[in-house]
Amino acid sequence: MSAPDPAAHVLDLPRRDARDKLTGATRYTVDRMGAGALHAAILRATGPAGRIVTLDLAPALSMPGVRGVAAAADAPGLHGIGVADHPLFARGHVRQPGEPLAAVAADTLDQARAALKAIVVEIDPDPACLTLDEAVAPGARLVHPDWRDYATLVEGGNRRDNIAWEARVDRGEVDAAFADPTMRIVESAYEVGRQSHVPFEPRAAVARWEDGRVHLECSTQAPWTVRRVTAEVMGIAPSQVRVTVPPVGGGFGLKFDCSIEPIAAILARKTGRAVALELSRAEEAASCLCRENARIRISSAIDPQGHIAARDAEVLMDCGAYGGEQVFLTTMTAHTLGGNYRLGAVRLVTKAVYTNTPPNGAFRACNGVYCTFALERHTDEICAQLGLDPLEFRRANVVGDGDIGATGQVFRGNVLGEMLERMEDASVPVLPALSGTLPDGRLYGRARTVGTWFVFVGPSSATVHLHDDGSATLVTAGVEIGSGSMAQGLPQIVAAQLGIAPDKVVVRQADTDASGLDMGVGGGRTTVSLGAASLEACAAVRAQLLEAAAEMLQTPASGLILRDGRAEIAASPGAGVPIPELVGRIQASLGPVAGHGAFTAPGEPAMPGCTAGHFIEAIDIPVHAVHEAEIALDPDTGHVEVLAYRVVQDVGLALNPRAVRGQIQGGVAQGLGYALHEEITHDAAGAIRQTGFETYRIPGALDVPRVEAILHEGGPSIGPLGIKGAGEVPILNVPAAIACAVANAGGVRVGALPLTPPRVLALLRGRGGRD
Amino acid sequence: MIRLRVNGEPLALDLDPMTPLVDLLRRDLGLTGAKAVCREGFCGACTVHVDGEPRLACLTPAGLVDGREVVTIEGLGRNAPPSVAPVDDAALPTALQRAMLEEDAVQCGMCFPGMVMALAPVLEAEPSMDREAIRRAMTGNLCRCTGYERILDAAVLALRPQQEAAE
Repeated sequence: MSAPDPAAHVLDLPRRDARDKLTGATRYTVDRMGAGALHAAILRATGPAGRIVTLDLAPALSMPGVRGVAAAADAPGLHGIGVADHPLFARGHVRQPGEPLAAVAADTLDQARAALKAIVVEIDPDPACLTLDEAVAPGARLVHPDWRDYATLVEGGNRRDNIAWEARVDRGEVDAAFADPTMRIVESAYEVGRQSHVPFEPRAAVARWEDGRVHLECSTQAPWTVRRVTAEVMGIAPSQVRVTVPPVGGGFGLKFDCSIEPIAAILARKTGRAVALELSRAEEAASCLCRENARIRISSAIDPQGHIAARDAEVLMDCGAYGGEQVFLTTMTAHTLGGNYRLGAVRLVTKAVYTNTPPNGAFRACNGVYCTFALERHTDEICAQLGLDPLEFRRANVVGDGDIGATGQVFRGNVLGEMLERMEDASVPVLPALSGTLPDGRLYGRARTVGTWFVFVGPSSATVHLHDDGSATLVTAGVEIGSGSMAQGLPQIVAAQLGIAPDKVVVRQADTDASGLDMGVGGGRTTVSLGAASLEACAAVRAQLLEAAAEMLQTPASGLILRDGRAEIAASPGAGVPIPELVGRIQASLGPVAGHGAFTAPGEPAMPGCTAGHFIEAIDIPVHAVHEAEIALDPDTGHVEVLAYRVVQDVGLALNPRAVRGQIQGGVAQGLGYALHEEITHDAAGAIRQTGFETYRIPGALDVPRVEAILHEGGPSIGPLGIKGAGEVPILNVPAAIACAVANAGGVRVGALPLTPPRVLALLRGRGGRD
Repeated sequence: MIRLRVNGEPLALDLDPMTPLVDLLRRDLGLTGAKAVCREGFCGACTVHVDGEPRLACLTPAGLVDGREVVTIEGLGRNAPPSVAPVDDAALPTALQRAMLEEDAVQCGMCFPGMVMALAPVLEAEPSMDREAIRRAMTGNLCRCTGYERILDAAVLALRPQQEAAE
C-alpha cells in the first residue's frame, strides 16, 4: 500500500465553524458564563512596587452575595518559563502595577466588584525600575532581590540582578573582524514599544470543582500548559486538573500562557460552585502579556567584496516584573538578527530584563517582528553607507543551500534567493525607483525585505477512531483560535489519509482528559505537529483497514487504495469494499478500529559550543518571507498610506491555499498596526495608559490594502507532507518593509516604531541631520 | 417594567433602565450572538437592529428600547422567533452571510455577528454600492483577524446578482 500523495490532501475546504459563527450560534467561553455560576473579580495593585503591610480579606467576606475569597496563601507555587519566578497573587511584595492581590467570587459581578473595595490593603511603596535603562543601570534596585532562590527550570542562562535571563551566541572571531582596517563598520540602534493583542474575546475561564478535581473551561491556546501551571500554583497534582476549550475568539499568542485560569480554579474549590472569570476590556488592556518593548544595537563589519564578515548585536527585551515567554525568546534573536544573511562571525547577547511593569508574553512571531525590523533597517543602512543597491545586496547575501546560520545549523535549499526572484517577477511598482515624488506631492517609498522565522515544533498527540458508519473522530488537544488549523487543515489530512470525505471527520474539542500531551496552538505549529501526529495515527488505521481488505479482496495490501469511502484495488476503480463494511468486519474480529500518533521536535543539529542559555540551538523548520511595501508619505501631516503590499511566503505545501491567503491578509493587517500606530505605553507609575479601543487604535477597513500573496512551495520541511506553519509568519516582515519604505520616501533614518504621524514629522524635520 | 419585542417575541422585563441593551440580551435573554467586545462603541461587535436600524447595543440603555422592536443576529432574516424557526442548516438567512461562507471570510468569528448586522441593512438599502463605498460603510466595525478584504469580497459577491440584474 502506498500512502496518498501530498497533493491529494490539498483542498480549499470551507470552514466547518463558519455557519455558526455567522449566525451568532457559536458559544465562546464568554458565552458560557450564565446558568448558576458565581462571578469573580480580581483586586489589583495600583503602584509598581512595594511591601504588602496589610491585606485583610475578612471585610469582603461579609459583603452581600460573596461566596469566597482567594489570595497568595491559596496559591503556594511559583511558575515560569526557564525560571519559576511568578506567583499567582502577590506574596509579600508587589512588583508591578495591576498585580493580582486577591480575588472574590460572588453571586453577581457587581457584588464581586463591590466586595473588592471592602478589602483592606496597605502597601509601603518601594522605589521602582520602570525602564530598561533604570533596570540595567549599575546599582539598580532589584525587582527580585531574592532572584537566586528561584528554581531554574532550564540550565545555562546567565542570570544576575535585573537580568532574568541572558542568552549568547559566539561563533568565529568577531573582534578580529571589527579590528580589521579593510572592513567597513556600520552601527545602528533601534527601539520599539509594546503591542497589545486585542483578541475580541478576552481571557476568560469557567471553573468547576468536581469529584476532587477542577474542570476549567477556558479561552486558551494551550490547554496542557493551563493544566500544568494550575496544578503548580495550587500545589495539586496535574491529574487533578481537566481543561476543555470551546471555540476561542482570537489569541495571537496572548493565550499561549496560563494567566487567570488558576484564580477561577481556586475560587471554585473554595466555594464548591462554578466560578466564571472574564477580564473586562480595561483589565485585559492593563494586564495584556504584550509583545515587549525592546532596544536593539547592531553592528556589522562588511568586507571589501560586500559580504558580512562579522556581526555584533545586543538586544534588551523588557520582560516586565516576571520572566515569562521573554526568557525563552532570548533564544530567537539568533535566528532573526543572526539569520537571513550569511555571517562570517557572530556575537549576539540577548537579555530579558526585569522592570516593575506588567509582564509581557508571546505575540504572533514575537521578537522576530522587531528583530526583522532592526535587521532590515540595518541592512538598508549598510547599503546606504557603502553605496550598495539594497536589492542586489540581499540577493548576494541571503542564506542559500549549504550555508550556515548563526548557531551553525546548515540551511538546505536556496529558498530565500528563489523567493526574492519571485518577488522581482511579481512586483509592478507605482514608480520604478525606490523613492520619488507622486503627482499629488506626497513622497513615495518602496522597500523589499526578507525575514526568517520558525515552526515551534514540540510534542503533540493524536488518536483517530474509525467507525462503522464511515466517519472518523480525531482526538487531540488542538484548539481552533480562528486560524483554520482545526477547522480545515487537520480534517483535510485525516480525510485524505483514510479515503473519506472531510465532513466525515469529527474533530474532538480539546480536552486534556481525552487527549495526550500537546504544547498548544502557537508558533505556527498546529497543522505541522498535530498534523504529523494525525498522519501517524492514520497510518495505523490504514494498516488495519488494508490488512482486512487484502483478505476480503484476495489482493495484496500493496495493490489497494483507500478512496471515496472504499478500500479499492488501485488498478480497478469501483472494485472494492465500502469502509463501513470493512470496519464492521474488524470490529467483529479484533474490536473497534483506532490508531495513535505522536510527534515532537526532531532536534536540528547546531555547531557545538557556540550558544549559551538557548532553549533550542537550531530551528527545525525555518520559514522564510519576502515582503514588499509601497507607501505614500504626506510631508505636511506625516501620515503614511500603504499603496500596495506584496508577500512571497515560504509555505512548504499549501494544504488549504485559500485559508493560507486569509492568514496572510490578516497577519499583514496586524503588522501594519504595529508599524504605524499601535503602541502600549506606561505612565510615571508604570501602569499601562491605554484602557481600550478608544485609546489603542487597531487597524480599520480603511487602513488595510489588499495584500498580493504568492505562496512559495517546495522549500524543505520535515513537517508532514512537507507543510510549514503559515499563520504566524505573515506579520514577520511588515514593520521592516514599512519602515524601510518610509526611510526611502523621506530620506530619513528610521530607528523606532510605530511610525505615527508625529514621529514621522519629527524624522522629516531632522532630515539632513543623519548621524 | 420595560416592554419590547426581541426577534418577534413580546417581552416584559423588570430591570434597571440604564442596563446596557447588550447585557439585557446576553445575560437576561441568553442571546449571546451580540458580543460585548469594547463596550465603548468603537468595535461594532454588539450591533443589533432597533426598529430596523443598526444600533450599538453596548451604548443603548434598556430604557431606550421600551416599546421598540429589537432584532439580533439570532433573529436576522427570520420571520418567526428562532425557537420556532425551522432548523435548516443549508440556508443562511441573508445573501451576505452566504457570501461570507463562500469567500472563507471567517476566522475567530467574534466580530462577524456585528459585522453582518451592520452591513446587511446597508447593502439592502443601497444595492448599487461599489467596493470602496462598502469599505467606507465598514468603518464602524473592527476585525482583528482578517484584514477585511475577504469581508469586502463577500459583500461585493452578495450584491452581484442585483447589480447584474440592474445592468
